[in-house]
Amino acid sequence: MKRFLETGNFAITEGAILAGCRLFAGYPITPATEIAEAMSLKLPRFGGYYIQAEDECAAMHLAVGAAAGGMKTMTATSGPGFILYADPYGWAIGCEIPIVVLNSQRVGPVSGLTGAPGQGEFYNSRYPTHGGNYETIVLAPNSAQEAMELTVEAFYLSERFRTPVTVLADQLITDGLEDISIPETDEEKAAMGLRFKDREVHQGPEFYPPTDEIDLPPVVLGRGTNAMCSDWTPTEEGYDIETVEAHHKHSYRMIYKIRNHREIISRYETLYLDEDPDLIVVAYGTPSRTVKTAVKMAKEKGQKIGMIRPISLWPFPDEIFSKKAIYLSVELNYDGQMVREIQRAAPKDSEIHFFGKCGELPAVAELQDTFDKLLNGEPLNRIGWETEAW
Amino acid sequence: MDRLTNKYLRARKIPSTACSGCGLGQSHKALVQALDELDYQVDDIVWGTSIGCAGRQTFATWKGDNFAGTHGRVYAIARGLRLALPPEKKLILTVGEGDAFGIGLNHLLHAVRSNTQMTILVNDNLGYQSTGGQFGWTTPAGVVTDSSPYGMSEPNWVQPNMDILDILKSAGATFLARHVSMDGRPLVETLKKAVQNNGCSIVHTVFPCPTNFGKNALGSRNAIKIFNWIKDHAAPMGEETEDTTWQTGIYHDASNSRPEYSQAMREKVAEIQRRYQDEGSH
Repeated sequence: MKRFLETGNFAITEGAILAGCRLFAGYPITPATEIAEAMSLKLPRFGGYYIQAEDECAAMHLAVGAAAGGMKTMTATSGPGFILYADPYGWAIGCEIPIVVLNSQRVGPVSGLTGAPGQGEFYNSRYPTHGGNYETIVLAPNSAQEAMELTVEAFYLSERFRTPVTVLADQLITDGLEDISIPETDEEKAAMGLRFKDREVHQGPEFYPPTDEIDLPPVVLGRGTNAMCSDWTPTEEGYDIETVEAHHKHSYRMIYKIRNHREIISRYETLYLDEDPDLIVVAYGTPSRTVKTAVKMAKEKGQKIGMIRPISLWPFPDEIFSKKAIYLSVELNYDGQMVREIQRAAPKDSEIHFFGKCGELPAVAELQDTFDKLLNGEPLNRIGWETEAW
Repeated sequence: MDRLTNKYLRARKIPSTACSGCGLGQSHKALVQALDELDYQVDDIVWGTSIGCAGRQTFATWKGDNFAGTHGRVYAIARGLRLALPPEKKLILTVGEGDAFGIGLNHLLHAVRSNTQMTILVNDNLGYQSTGGQFGWTTPAGVVTDSSPYGMSEPNWVQPNMDILDILKSAGATFLARHVSMDGRPLVETLKKAVQNNGCSIVHTVFPCPTNFGKNALGSRNAIKIFNWIKDHAAPMGEETEDTTWQTGIYHDASNSRPEYSQAMREKVAEIQRRYQDEGSH
């Protein structure tokens, strides 16, 4: 095991290389630039390529293009670049090409607060391209160590499901310095629960039948299989066609290969859920760290408060929202995004609240104050700032 | 089915779904002819396309590996793919002029800058014809289209001192040529040279669209009219007349004068890898 005091950006790069990533294409953007820098330094030593693209749209296309040629590839960005990925996300989803995308969320819209943490791309990451008719896989770490581990997992899932997998981090994770352990031996990797899958090559020119099967090898160009992949609706044979019947079959695969295998993807952390909590606090990413502290302190005070931290954000882990309780979604945005999914997933008669901040983490003290108000039935200051406007 | 079709193209896609009288087949055939004369086999080529008429009608026509990219981004896809492909494979792209000179121009410039091996046949039907016939970046002055109903009043990129090929030359292109699809043998010879450049080659070829361009610009869907109109406005370099819009032939041939991107990248990475392996650590 190698240990470092390093940034999440460093950890993500190490995880990617461990998973077999041999091409990274990116475009400088705060706070994900350091991943590009680390990749440019490290990848050539492993026989891999770093490409700096003309813009983010090109960056992800470059990475998907190389993935279509059989390489394990990755790109990383932040919000303003993430929206320029919409085009290549569609190509990768439709052509069913594995690739890993890291988004270190900052505060938007547009340039917003560049070097501060946000959580504005909860829904963007679910619908990274237009048109619907697909499911997506999104993983959200809350530390540099977990960012490394989930990067490895993202490569694993992308190979099994033949689709882009997004690691949704934030500025505090990617920029923050933390203790990081990088496994070296197979035993160390197994002990950490890391899973790996090599690229296999889909044989034959045919595309795929309308199936929910996973573990079908992706199409790879340049291997003499007479492969066909395109932005158009494919026939099962691989040709382009414009018929509702063909698109229905294509969509079934893009949706149900993920929807019917949620158990392989689903990950979450919970605290005190089996102690009949009155209040369940929900948070993903870095805010979950102050939330966890506040929930633990509440237990010492005798309050019955539990916590849910979704790690796989999409498909949203509905199954853990089975208890009737007061729910509080703590997020790094003012508009409330994940709270809407909790409203959908939680039992109908649950009471559901939102506490938002962005650019900085909620402090333990203000969380405690919020918990007290909720348990006492008092009105909530939902956005972390005392302003008349809100 | 002729010999070339049987050898290289898929029966499912040939004849294509192109409109009656479309000239795309001429330049498409010239390219297949060039590959045949260079003795390439089906497996030697990876064939990419854009969208629009030129992309859609050529996608999956090749018997070997085919892909079609998103609009304008195929140059970026191809640049990544080139690094993953076995070095001996050749990348061929058949795209439209809206894709290459409009939405994809920045990506095209960077493919040219990096000199990544890809032979790009830009099939120019003088506007956006698959969407019904809007003007584009090579639509001649004065021409009526669905989005220039009073005549094309904007400058275009095939004008004296405003030539897209000059932009591409300044950006570092190692092979540039212009033709019209009815050029036949000279087009085949040009394409053979383009493919033999281990770098980014661009062959801009104007082809007739009777359905939308002919209907709007010439008031007729008669294919012979638009064929003759394009022919009358084209002449080999050095034989131009007052009526010449498209000077045909090779504009710039600096074939194999600069390192090819993926090859240079492979060599650089191998050198770095050796250096660090010698040091015994990463």
